[in-house]
Amino acid sequence: MVETGRRKFDKSASLKLAALAVALVLPILPFTSEYLIHVCILIFLYMVLALGLNVVPGFNGLLDLGYVGFYGIGAYTAGLLTVNFGLSYWLIMPLAAINGAIWGVLLGAPTLRLTGDYFAIVTFGFSELVVLVITNEIWLTRGPLGLPGIEPVSIDFSWFGGPVWYLEGDTPGVYYLILAMVLLTLFVMTRVQNSRLGRAWFAIRDDELAAVSCGVNLLRYKVIAFAISAAFGALGGSFYARWVSVLSPTDFAFWESFLVLCMIVLGGLGNIWGVLIGATALVSLGEILRVVLPLVGLPMNVRFLFYGLIMVLTMRLRPAGLLPIPAVAERMRIVGARRKKPVAKVFNK
Amino acid sequence: MKPILEIKELSKNFGGVTALSKVSFSIYEGEILGLIGPNGAGKTTLFNCVAGVDKPTSGRITFHARNGGEVSVGGKKPEHVTALGIARTFQNIRLFDALSVLDNVKIGRHCRTKSNFFGAVLRTGFQRREEREIEESSREVLAFTGLTDRYEEVASALPYGDQRRLEIARALATEPRLLMLDEPAAGMNPQESKDLMNLILRIRNKGVTVLLIEHDMKVVMGICERVVVINHGSWLAEAGPHEVAKDPKVIEAYLGSGAAVAS
Repeated sequence: MVETGRRKFDKSASLKLAALAVALVLPILPFTSEYLIHVCILIFLYMVLALGLNVVPGFNGLLDLGYVGFYGIGAYTAGLLTVNFGLSYWLIMPLAAINGAIWGVLLGAPTLRLTGDYFAIVTFGFSELVVLVITNEIWLTRGPLGLPGIEPVSIDFSWFGGPVWYLEGDTPGVYYLILAMVLLTLFVMTRVQNSRLGRAWFAIRDDELAAVSCGVNLLRYKVIAFAISAAFGALGGSFYARWVSVLSPTDFAFWESFLVLCMIVLGGLGNIWGVLIGATALVSLGEILRVVLPLVGLPMNVRFLFYGLIMVLTMRLRPAGLLPIPAVAERMRIVGARRKKPVAKVFNK
Repeated sequence: MKPILEIKELSKNFGGVTALSKVSFSIYEGEILGLIGPNGAGKTTLFNCVAGVDKPTSGRITFHARNGGEVSVGGKKPEHVTALGIARTFQNIRLFDALSVLDNVKIGRHCRTKSNFFGAVLRTGFQRREEREIEESSREVLAFTGLTDRYEEVASALPYGDQRRLEIARALATEPRLLMLDEPAAGMNPQESKDLMNLILRIRNKGVTVLLIEHDMKVVMGICERVVVINHGSWLAEAGPHEVAKDPKVIEAYLGSGAAVAS
């Protein structure tokens, strides 16, 4: 029994290492085109976003429909700091993440008292609000005109007479930058997942009343989750700003939130490895549809129909996702057979 | 004997419904106190008031803290009550279904530990020491409750009796001075409830005071030193288990099932 468990672990670990090795050598392989690198960068970007979002619905069981708001805040933070102050990306990265976290706390602290759908509605409203502010505060963001001319990321050795490298467009440099960000996010998530903080989140997800009885302060831990999730959303946004170099409010429309949510539900809510698979699958699907849809004479927006279809099929066939956490799959199985336990009591505050 | 928890004139209304009205009694350090009463008598509401889940309408609940100070518990948040040293289990089992047995107990350690996000990410020395402590004391508690060989199993996969035990283990992991058990023997077979009685006695012998809601009179008779009876939200009687069982008022409250109590 122990023997097979061990082998299984080795297998999944070697699979992960193999995937990492492929990701590391991909840009220098002879057949790799600029387009392939572009798609990979997109996949990695969505991996960071999906891992960040996963903290809220995956670890805490709270539906968050406003994630793109933090993505937008991060992007515009990076864009404006670059355009107005010319700050280095290495400084902007933490600043954007911190700004995301601050907004996460500002939004979360008053609204995380709400439960279930009510909270989801508030988050949805928040992301729309972010887009409206970006569109209308023209003095700051140039509104619908967009924010062009954001410099690409650079590695600057000129202070001791070395070269300055620009990481721009769909090049291996940008590729490795975002890959490093994926690894950083993964590192943080795996560590948090196996800590007191992660356990408190899982407790909240499984049973709020039991969690408070163990001494978990619900609001506090939900706000922490929301802030961390927002920080990674903003981190992804800051990369996006320096990568595409032009920002416009339409980049942060509601459907982006839904797309990232689809990724984590498809991959397996709460499982960070499943989330990676979900991001890969849906970004690839988007690229395939981009080619296929015009061929059969359908408009591009039909792709949303496919995302919806995938969600319906996932719910029907694999409700716990492609790569569920064993425990959640177990629960899904049990819930089918047993009456669900009463909803956590709403405290009379 | 020193009281550990004093309940004075405790009332609780839900809208127009009076769930508890002016209930008063005390729990003394180191005893096992039974709380019985017919269905709907307000036993669980009383638990919820002490545990901070329900806010009392009026009355005082005073907890005597370890350092000798008195703390008013009524209206405190549940997590503060747990931190003070009052732990509870639930009438309908509330485990963290998707987590392993060990993780369930580890969460019980939450209120006695501190490390947070940065500790987790940076794996500071403090965090690693704390994790080790959490792991060790959780295993200790599981061994104490007799769940040694099931650490890695998912909590919801445990047999019913073990789920009850695990809930007690999780409550014990919070290092309570007062443990409140809400019908722990419900649905157990005779062997399981015998094991449970044993466990409760061992918990008491460790110095933990136990407040027990229970319908299974064998369990109440077997381990409780004193019994408080409530009916329709009011205090009805308070005595040793055998006197209570003979009390005509109590028998009347239970009506049909009273005959079984008296026998």
